[in-house]
Parts: sequence; C-alpha cells; structure tokens
Amino acid sequence: MPDIFVAEPKEKEATVPEMPYVLEKQTDSGGPIPIIQPPINTTNPVHLFSAFKKNPDGITFRDQEGEETILLFIRHSFITNIRWVLFGIFLAILPILVSLSLGFFQNPLPSLPIKYYFMIEAFYYLIIAAYFYINFITWHFNIALVTDKRIIDINFSNLVYKDVAATKLNLVQDVSFAQVGAIRTFFDYGDVLVQTAGTLDNFTFESAPQPENIVHIIEDLIGKRNDIFR
Amino acid sequence: MEKEMISLDKLLPFIQFGLFIKIGFLAIDLFFILFLLIAVRQVFAMDTIVNDASNGVIIKGSVILLLLLSISLFLTALVIL
Repeated sequence: MPDIFVAEPKEKEATVPEMPYVLEKQTDSGGPIPIIQPPINTTNPVHLFSAFKKNPDGITFRDQEGEETILLFIRHSFITNIRWVLFGIFLAILPILVSLSLGFFQNPLPSLPIKYYFMIEAFYYLIIAAYFYINFITWHFNIALVTDKRIIDINFSNLVYKDVAATKLNLVQDVSFAQVGAIRTFFDYGDVLVQTAGTLDNFTFESAPQPENIVHIIEDLIGKRNDIFR
Repeated sequence: MEKEMISLDKLLPFIQFGLFIKIGFLAIDLFFILFLLIAVRQVFAMDTIVNDASNGVIIKGSVILLLLLSISLFLTALVIL
C-alpha cells in the first residue's frame, strides 16, 4: 500500500548548551575554542548582615522536614544595632580621650611599669571585642523563619536565654504590623504580630524590616489576603 | 647597708602592689575565659538550631579567636607581670 504522506526526518535542532561558555582563545586555525565556565551561582545566600531574605539558600534548622522550604528569613532591622555599635566605638576611643585629658591635668594614676598598662589595655580591648561579638550574635541569632508549612520564631538574648517557638500556618488566624515613629518609617521596619488560634501563643517579630511585605507574604500563605487597604 | 635597707623598704610595697595587680588581673581574665567558654557553647548550640552554611564559620571562628586571645593574654600575664 503506497504511503500517502511520509514525514521527512527532521534534523535535530541545535540545542542550547546548559553550561554557559565564552569564546576567548583562538586556535591555530583561527577558530575560537569554547571555554566552559563553571555554572553561574544562582543561589540566594543569607549574608552576614542580612535582615530580610526571600527564599534563602544555605539555611537549615533543627526539625526541618524533608520537603519543607524556607520562604522568608527575618532578623531585626540592622539599624537597630546602631546604639551598641556607637557605644562600642565610644568605649574603644575612651582610652585615647583619657590619655589626652591626662596630658592637661596631673596624672592621678599610680606609676606602674609600662607592661602593666599594656596588659590592662590589651584586656580592655579584648572586652570591647567581646562586647561587639555578644551584641552581634544576639542580633544574628534572633531569627524568624516562614516556611511553606509553619512559622518559627527563634529568640536569643543575654547569651544564656534561647527560645524556639513554632506554629503551623493553618493555625495562623491573623497577621498585622505596627510601624510607629519617624525612624521606623524612614528605615522601613516595624513589629509584625502573628495571631494564632486558641490558647496558642502569638508571635511577634520585633523590628522586622519591610513589615508590610512580610504581612502580605504570610497572608498569601494562609490564604487570607486583606485587600481592604490595597 | 643602711641604704640597701631603705631601698628594700621602698621596693617592698611596690612588689606587693604589683603582685596584687597580677593576681587581680589573672582572676578577672580567668572569669573572662569562662564567660567566653559559655559563649562558645551557646554559639555552637545555636548553630545546631539554625545552621547558616555561609556565615557559620565566621561566627564560630570569631568566638574561638576571642577565646584563644584571652587565653594567650592570661598566659602572657602569668609570665611577664
């Protein structure tokens, strides 16, 4: 039986290489040699000073389920650190100010060998370094995570207090935020209140950056987008 | 002989004062080392709760560096003061 129609075999279309490459070197014949570059890093890591990150990579938490994905990573706004940073800088320059002022007045300090002053000063700056470090990790480990299944609030303060609380998204009843004051408005941070059902504790993300954005994201997740004010 | 006695009399209070400062310094530094040991423990504990792959090394390395500096300061004070 004769074929009415026979499709001609198509030539295989040129496929776009998955690995990006650049043409740099020339061969002896003049043609370029493709130099394969390593794949472009498409990850979304949380930087050391990040306070707000959507879909962060490289973050895992204890009791994380296999397919649970972190959607939001929140810390206190970085501007909230300004107080201890300034105080630490003041403490760091205080010995210089004292030594300058002692040049004008009579030195009340006992005359000790220079090694004593050196050791005391070294210890003083070590304490200041520890002061910076402790304040930084207090900020660094105060984290709120919003995953596709739950909300996790990790509190860490005074080096010895840590508290981890979590609630499932289906138990979240309402989300709201408060942004009071000129500084908070200017730097766009505020308190986000997550109200949970029944007798469960509510969550408060204090001094969270982009609070309105956070509220919208959580509302989308719980299927309760409040469009009244939009 | 009398001159030597006088100079020793003058030197003795200073030696006692220096010893007092040394013991005080070592005691405070020891407390500081203990404080930093607690900090190390807490940082490692927090790292198990929330693991930050990109910055965890910096955070843990910093506290270990502080601890090593304070231990070396303690040993230095023990030797030279």
